Amino acid sequence: MRSFYITLKYLAIALWTAFVVGPFLWALSTSFKDFSSVTSGAKYIPWLQFKPTLEGWNVLWRTPARGGVDIAEPFMNSLMVTTLASAISIALGTLAAYALSRYTFKFGFVKNNDITFFFISQRIMPPVVLSIPFFIMLSKFGLLDTIAGLVTVYIVLLMPIAVWIMVDFFNKVPRELDETALIDGCNPFQAFFQVVLPNSIPGLVVATMFCLIFGWTDFFFSFILTFTEVQLLPVRIVALNSSITPWWSLSAAALISVAPLLLVAFVVERFLSKGNLSGALK
Amino acid sequence: MLVGDKISLEVGGETHLSDVSFEMAPGGLYTILGRTLAGKTTLLKSIAGLTEFDSGALSSSGQDFTKVPVWQRNVAMVYQQFINYPHFNVFNNIAFPLRKKGLSKDEIQKRVARSIEQVGLEGFELRKIQELSGGQQQRVALARSLAKASKILLLDEPLVNLDYKLREQLREELKDLIDSEFNKDGIVVYSTTDPLEAMQFGGTLLVMDEGRIIQQGPAVDVFEHPATCRVAEITNDPSMNLWPATFTGGQFHIAEGIDLPAPADTSGVNEGACIVGFRSNDIRIEAGGLEFVVELSEIAGSETIIHLRRGETGMIARVEGVVDLKMNEVVPVKINTDWLYIFGTDETLVKSPFGSKD
Amino acid sequence: MRYGHKYVFLLPGLLVLIAILIFPVIFTVRLSLSGWNSYNPGLDFVGIKNYVRLFTSDPRFWEAFSRLAFFSLTTVFLQYILGFGLALLVWRDVLFKRFFRVLFLIPMMTTPVIMTVIWKTVFHESLGPVNDFLSMFGLTPLWLSDPMLSKVTVIIVEVWQWTPFMFLLLLAGLLSLPKEAFLAASIDGAGPLRKFIYVTFPLMAPISIGAIIIRLIEASKIMDTIYVLTSGGPGTSTETTSFYIFIKGLREFQMGYSAAMSFTYLIVMILSLTVIVNILIRVFIGRND
Repeated sequence: MRSFYITLKYLAIALWTAFVVGPFLWALSTSFKDFSSVTSGAKYIPWLQFKPTLEGWNVLWRTPARGGVDIAEPFMNSLMVTTLASAISIALGTLAAYALSRYTFKFGFVKNNDITFFFISQRIMPPVVLSIPFFIMLSKFGLLDTIAGLVTVYIVLLMPIAVWIMVDFFNKVPRELDETALIDGCNPFQAFFQVVLPNSIPGLVVATMFCLIFGWTDFFFSFILTFTEVQLLPVRIVALNSSITPWWSLSAAALISVAPLLLVAFVVERFLSKGNLSGALK
Repeated sequence: MLVGDKISLEVGGETHLSDVSFEMAPGGLYTILGRTLAGKTTLLKSIAGLTEFDSGALSSSGQDFTKVPVWQRNVAMVYQQFINYPHFNVFNNIAFPLRKKGLSKDEIQKRVARSIEQVGLEGFELRKIQELSGGQQQRVALARSLAKASKILLLDEPLVNLDYKLREQLREELKDLIDSEFNKDGIVVYSTTDPLEAMQFGGTLLVMDEGRIIQQGPAVDVFEHPATCRVAEITNDPSMNLWPATFTGGQFHIAEGIDLPAPADTSGVNEGACIVGFRSNDIRIEAGGLEFVVELSEIAGSETIIHLRRGETGMIARVEGVVDLKMNEVVPVKINTDWLYIFGTDETLVKSPFGSKD
Repeated sequence: MRYGHKYVFLLPGLLVLIAILIFPVIFTVRLSLSGWNSYNPGLDFVGIKNYVRLFTSDPRFWEAFSRLAFFSLTTVFLQYILGFGLALLVWRDVLFKRFFRVLFLIPMMTTPVIMTVIWKTVFHESLGPVNDFLSMFGLTPLWLSDPMLSKVTVIIVEVWQWTPFMFLLLLAGLLSLPKEAFLAASIDGAGPLRKFIYVTFPLMAPISIGAIIIRLIEASKIMDTIYVLTSGGPGTSTETTSFYIFIKGLREFQMGYSAAMSFTYLIVMILSLTVIVNILIRVFIGRND
């Protein structure tokens, strides 16, 4: 009976693993195909079933003038927008989260919980609702199709995540720690930067990881708010989809865009298994 | 001189401090005794400046303390939780407040070394806080407070989270340290829930209950002359047993079949209704005594705490040694009435077995 | 403390967020009262005409809404069941558990829109591997062009993408549960099933509610998957609210009308989330007080 359960358990794990890995393996195989191998029905194993070629990968580095797709530039754009917006969101969000966790606010009937909810509730807005007014706002300031414009918009996307994770984290850091720092001669800023912040690294790492994920994987805002100057990676790749569908370069590009965040998965798991996520995610 | 005048604080309709007044002189040791949530921590935090109160005044050496922010008050505080800076090692933990004061490197080195020696942590300077035991962590917190040489040292139940044996040991050391080091011109305020600890520390006792100071004075005085029934309860662990009684014909009638003979001196006690009180250790299990039923019996260290009941009348006894008793067992009990306290029906002290206060 | 420091901590973030959002919010409300479209661009004032149209003569919007409800509830329900199951599988005593934990997290780290492009090739009706496999049994389902089946395809992709998020939240919860409760249950001789019903599940109730709410909020924004996979089709069979607003606003340039829809959408969302939170509390905690 017991061994039956164990078999069932590993069978379930194997099935889900296949489901998770399947699309990646398919994309990997496809990235080495050419037109004829794709259009002649589903093939899986290179050399055995089709003749592999590096064309799908090579085309990504070529400039459009030479018939390439040039994925390097949107890759760097994505990296820049994501890290900048994450950094600003984490910085401002962490400060606000600390204030909300430690001090009592009252603006009329608005109290701490309402302010926290205001931050987090920005996640309810679907991108399409915000994209039209953002389009008009950015064009007024001449920020359409610029890095600065995208970063501004992404802050709305990412700061709620930073506040959500950090408020929970700071609530777990004992108040007495800050108080001891104050008693020992720190002013509130020194207490925060010299004592609380150095002890909040797990929370900061988790918040950063989530900001990076949600920044890197966003599509809609950059799709609406950029055209040619500052294309981001997802937009460039999806554009491939609507043209003549070169599955090989599409797959290769997809794998490249997915790769950087695999590192994030490792970091998140490390913090998860050490139990550092439990307070941060609730 | 640290003076508090009618300090009151209410949070969300709950009274935390109510008309708290005190005068603390340099060189004095002040012990705040009270049950959990009596307002001890709030009072200490108010003195430190971490909590602001609604009304009342607080001054130190004539200076209005409420105008001075925490970080400029130069107080030291040790919490019941072991609070240290987890990202620093032992040395840096102790040096941190000294660096904030802008002391020279040599001076810091000297002071840290000295306080590390005082708390007996030589050789642990470079250890991380997480590598220390609870007792050692609290020693670090203590060392940090001592090194600062503040005028005011606040100790908020510093020993309560330690195990029994360690608590005894550290209590001795702490007492010695305070006597030898701090009592010259500093004010030490120590809070505890444990009457025994308060007695051992001595000094001036402030008994707190529901945000008020209900009695203050030299520790021995308070123990011998609890002003009210409530003070008698708080200053004894287990609580003093208090029975409503009728004083008539040289004895106290408690209930059907329970009468206590009056002590030798009953001057000033009027015939009629009153409350008698006696400590739990003035009860002995002895043949020929009144028969009580055992409700609960627990062993605490080298003593046994027994909850007894007879009809409506219950009491708690503390007897030396380990006594093996079953639930619902009937035992003969004698109460030593030489140490009987007598309170009026208004719950104020009428007669102490220690005679009148002077 | 009554020192002013607290504002220095709070205000930079709060003000930046408000500064970025104040214009879009006010503008959306104003826009919804205008007749801005491609023939007549500009902020004229038409009163509540857009809202009247929305509530009286646009069943497509409400159909899109009910479709959104269907997609959100189905996917989040499946994600919760699967995510909880997976979290339990790699919670304790499993070989290579840290490897599988990383593996199970990966889909949420990928860009939805890009992975959907890959999924589209996977479900390709003549060249994809799924139908290649099924054709062995003589089946070639129309994953993307059948009105019923295209819904299933969207759900499969959404489940693949976001079950890991649910898994992450629930596993983090499981790993933070107090050991004492399980010890007590073991001593009482409870089997694995009883332990789950009487110990694990009740302890996980608050975390479950939180995770489901977060996922519902995120799932209600479903857009990328549908945009790439089906573009709302075939017909309108996978069209959700976001996508319909997108079509009216950014394809047909009926800006005023799409703003009215956006505003209505937000109100309905906030109301339904409030209701859902109450239902969830009743289901998981068992009482409502």
